[in-house]
Amino acid sequence: MIKASNLSVRLSGTQVLHGVNIEATAGQLTAIVGPNGSGKTTSLKAIAGEIPYDGTVSINGHNITTLKPWELALKRAVLPQSTVISFPFTVREIVRMGLSVGAKADAADTDRIARDALEAVDLSGFAGRFYQELSGGEQQRVQLARALCQIWEPVQHGEPAFLLLDEPVSNLDIRHQLTIMRLAKDFCERGGGVIAIMHDLNLTAMFADRMIMMKAGRVHATGHPNEVMTDAVMEAVFGCAMRVNATPPGNVPFVLPHTAA
Amino acid sequence: MPRSEMVMGDGRSQSFAARLKSDWQLGDRSRLAQLLIFVLMVVAAAMFAASIMTGAADASLSNVLRWLLGMEGAEQALSVRDRIIILDIRLPRAVLGLMVGASLAVSGAVMQGLFRNPLADPGLVGVSSGASLGAVLLIVLGSSFFGPLFAIFGFYALPVAAFVGGLITTLLLYKIATRSGQTSVATMLLAGIALGALAGAVTGVLIFMADDKQLRDLTFWGLGSLAGANWMKILSAGPIILVSLAVVPFLARGLNALTLGEAAAFHMGIPVQRLKNIAIVSVAASTGASVAVSGGIGFVGIVVPHVLRMVIGPDHRYLLPASALLGGTLLIFADMIARTIVPPAELPIGIITAFAGAPFFLWILLRGRSHMGL
Repeated sequence: MIKASNLSVRLSGTQVLHGVNIEATAGQLTAIVGPNGSGKTTSLKAIAGEIPYDGTVSINGHNITTLKPWELALKRAVLPQSTVISFPFTVREIVRMGLSVGAKADAADTDRIARDALEAVDLSGFAGRFYQELSGGEQQRVQLARALCQIWEPVQHGEPAFLLLDEPVSNLDIRHQLTIMRLAKDFCERGGGVIAIMHDLNLTAMFADRMIMMKAGRVHATGHPNEVMTDAVMEAVFGCAMRVNATPPGNVPFVLPHTAA
Repeated sequence: MPRSEMVMGDGRSQSFAARLKSDWQLGDRSRLAQLLIFVLMVVAAAMFAASIMTGAADASLSNVLRWLLGMEGAEQALSVRDRIIILDIRLPRAVLGLMVGASLAVSGAVMQGLFRNPLADPGLVGVSSGASLGAVLLIVLGSSFFGPLFAIFGFYALPVAAFVGGLITTLLLYKIATRSGQTSVATMLLAGIALGALAGAVTGVLIFMADDKQLRDLTFWGLGSLAGANWMKILSAGPIILVSLAVVPFLARGLNALTLGEAAAFHMGIPVQRLKNIAIVSVAASTGASVAVSGGIGFVGIVVPHVLRMVIGPDHRYLLPASALLGGTLLIFADMIARTIVPPAELPIGIITAFAGAPFFLWILLRGRSHMGL
């Protein structure tokens, strides 16, 4: 499990996080949601260990400051929001960079993992394409395949591995939004853990097991989406009045009147 | 070649070509890269031999070889003149060309990986100027200020001074151009121009201050050519270049990860700060040592890695050794042109690399603007 306690971060003189507590358990998809500038990405960067912070972050009980970069890399992989590359790498070459962490098995195994990872993000047949020639959404999926390769087994040596995803579906069409969310969910079901920063509230409600609602550098609410996504919380966090609805249970047809022409 | 071997060779090469083609479709260029590195090794060896055999003066290599191998009667056949031309003039020159070319090309490739941009080159962004300043400082102020330096480093003093100059420039450049793990290309190029100009200005002041003897030293040193090649130069710069080239293979995986950004490289388990430190010191050392023995030879560091990336891709595990081989080969070739095109005079080799390299650089710019964040 990942446990971040009392995280505070200052970025160029401004206090961005004020004592944030974030927990993510293996087997669960934890979504961080909140308006722009609420500290979601900063929290994820602190948990990834890439920026200085006050407080403690631990993965499976190890304080991350005591782990070497390569030890950390076997416990968690990170998908950044976007990655610009100035060199003409092929998709295959990028994806296989994720495989160079730690000692992996033989060449046939690495070939299989790289192929399966591309298939998982629906990019089979893209191995020979140049990264720079892909669309933003395709590039994002290549990066996800690269991150997946890094922790291909969700459980390694009895310890769960974690995927940290910064807006994994922001550039994607609806079909691939679902593909990627299912992939994340599947990673959890196989024993790993996922922390994902999300903007789409409906996808969050569909897929998240736990939801952390952030506002102005603080955690505003935590819990199952059914508990967190209430009219009151939505208005308090996003500052606009919205009604949270639920489709009727079971096989009951219903009509949404504003679909009338 | 015996006929049976030819047939076998053809059969193998066909299936090899087919494999290369399917590799290409799968985005795998590793086999192609290995093949190219092998070809480059052969070409480098051939170019090295050609360089020893050609020149304004006629000298018999076979007699020298027989003498070196201790064959009977070779002593008599070999004239003193041949021995001097081959062993004391052409051989050190070819060795120096190979070394300096490899070092320029590899430090270009490493610097481009470090700055995550194909336009970074020690010559373009002021590192060579900084190294020159270090060397000129030593020559001009040497006896009065750096006496102890000579005492400690002996004939390594010049390359060491150039290394320190290059190191300071590289560190400054990195500090200026990189903010929270992101390198700004525009800042890097502009800061490089400013640092280069500053180093050039200080160098100018020093040359103004220099006395006649120092001026002669400076002129000899700053010709930007391999003309002064001798075994002494090779002994002084060689170890520094070899050490800085020897650490480079260990940087390859880290430089690959670094192309995705510093944060991503850290996520992938790379000790980023240590990687950057080693890369910067290695670039400064090999640039400094090259500048110390051959003056400023431009464009090798930018052209060679770029051409290779177009063929075998940017994977540093292959790019770095291939750059060393192609850089060395090209510099020996350029030197052969330099000393045979206007006999008996010699053209400074820097002119030839600039004539070939500068238009090429413009072509890279025009072709790849959109990919380079410009």
